[in-house]
Amino acid sequence: MGGGEKPVGASVNPWSIFSTVMAWLILLFLMLPSFIVVPMSFGGKFEMMFPPTTFDTILYERFFSTGNWIATTITSFKVAIGATALALLLGVPASYGIVRGTYPGKKIVTLFLLSPILVPVIVLALGMYLYLASFKATGTDLGLIIAHGVLTTPFVIVTCMAGLRHIDANLETAATIMGASVMQSFFKVTLPLLKPAMFAGGLFAFLMSFDEVVVAFFITEASTMTLPVKMYSSIKWEISPILAAISSLLTLLSLVICLVGAAAQKKT
Amino acid sequence: MLERRAQRLAIMFVAPATIFMLAVFLIPLWKVISQSFTTMDGHFTWAGYAELKTSILFAKVMWNTIEISLMATVVTLLFSYPLAYYLAKQPPRRRAYLMVFVLLPFWTSVLVKSFAFMVVLGENGFINQGLRAILGGDLPIKLLFNRTGVMIGMTHYFIPFMVFPILTSLLAQSPDLPKAAQLMGSGAMRIFFKITLPLSMPGVMAGCLLTFILSLGFFITPSLMGGRKDMMMANLVDFYMRETLNWPVAAAIACLLLLLSLAFISLLSRIPGGKSVLGEAG
Repeated sequence: MGGGEKPVGASVNPWSIFSTVMAWLILLFLMLPSFIVVPMSFGGKFEMMFPPTTFDTILYERFFSTGNWIATTITSFKVAIGATALALLLGVPASYGIVRGTYPGKKIVTLFLLSPILVPVIVLALGMYLYLASFKATGTDLGLIIAHGVLTTPFVIVTCMAGLRHIDANLETAATIMGASVMQSFFKVTLPLLKPAMFAGGLFAFLMSFDEVVVAFFITEASTMTLPVKMYSSIKWEISPILAAISSLLTLLSLVICLVGAAAQKKT
Repeated sequence: MLERRAQRLAIMFVAPATIFMLAVFLIPLWKVISQSFTTMDGHFTWAGYAELKTSILFAKVMWNTIEISLMATVVTLLFSYPLAYYLAKQPPRRRAYLMVFVLLPFWTSVLVKSFAFMVVLGENGFINQGLRAILGGDLPIKLLFNRTGVMIGMTHYFIPFMVFPILTSLLAQSPDLPKAAQLMGSGAMRIFFKITLPLSMPGVMAGCLLTFILSLGFFITPSLMGGRKDMMMANLVDFYMRETLNWPVAAAIACLLLLLSLAFISLLSRIPGGKSVLGEAG
């Protein structure tokens, strides 16, 4: 558990012991929510305690048999899949244009495309609400897909930009010299090589949309509520033990996406 | 020639995303700005901003927002630096495994975190039970629905955001520098304060600014883990929007929040470590 490099002189260094202990306490703090919700989700029906005293799967059964929770989960899946598709469709070509292209105003266009990440989400949420309200489109799945498209496209662009920088541009040049059009070289040479980055970007976009709560809270209505919005109001108004089961499932989803996404990113 | 034509064609690849963002990102932002000058029945008004100028509630919330954001930044830095330092010292393979413990919380829903903390920090939660067992039958310590609760929630949220840029700047340092200093007789403390820390300042600055910017617009954590006194600007936007239905005021607060964030974002883009953060996170 000691530091990676042995000091040249002294064998035991109080500084490195201190930093190791600190680091592990902080890692423990970071992992605390995940360590808490999983055991709690197997506790009993009326229990909201950690550590739990019984073992039961009733909370999961209740989640899967409660129409309200399932309906919001399905909405979340629909919206996240739509937003991911939109973000990939717009973000992948955009990243190619940014990394490989030269045209006037490129810096400004790039900054503009990435700026939704930096704008406070509440401002975007309010703007989306006012905008959709002017078409009477608040509370529609399509409205939320578009809003989440705005939030996730920059992430796909950033991920794919990193992926493109690792792909040798000479391969594309070679294809063009041998007579391929720009489109052909993009589809036949670049895209196949970019697959891992696209996959990682898509996974992260999916998770961002699936977990997004502020914009969804502003623009959805009771009938089109997503899972995070329902969780938010449940935590706020009538905290229920089912939340432990849902939280565990969400943690599992995050873990899988985080591991698979990181592995895919490493491939590029 | 051919290649140049191809590069010009690149603009076509950027066009769809640009048009999309103009239509559904820029126009909504414009809607917020114009709403802040428009009454509910469509006339021009200064009333939104005028109300904020005299509102005691707004002054309090504005001050809260800055105070909470500053505190969250400092506390996050205190926790993130030792962790980044430790991670930087690990061999690459081991570091990759340990990074999962930073990445998983980064990708965990803020609602999952809030729920877990509310159970753990509650009056009968596991922390208070532990404290009671150690300290005897004292009153429960209030860790929720107050500033402490907001701080715990926000610090937890921001540590990964701060660890990434600091780790990047620590890993960019040549390992030969501390070795040379050690051979010449410097102690560990001296090496840290004279070499490692100063060289990691770009990462620290970038991480702090990023944390500060993100916390200015925080909504969920203060709403769930804070009390009435811990309202932040984002919560006030929601309050005016839904509870008092005063749209011009809600939009005016959002505009001020946007302006405040943009000021710090432009600062972030000017500092040495900022470009990498903006490149990574946006």
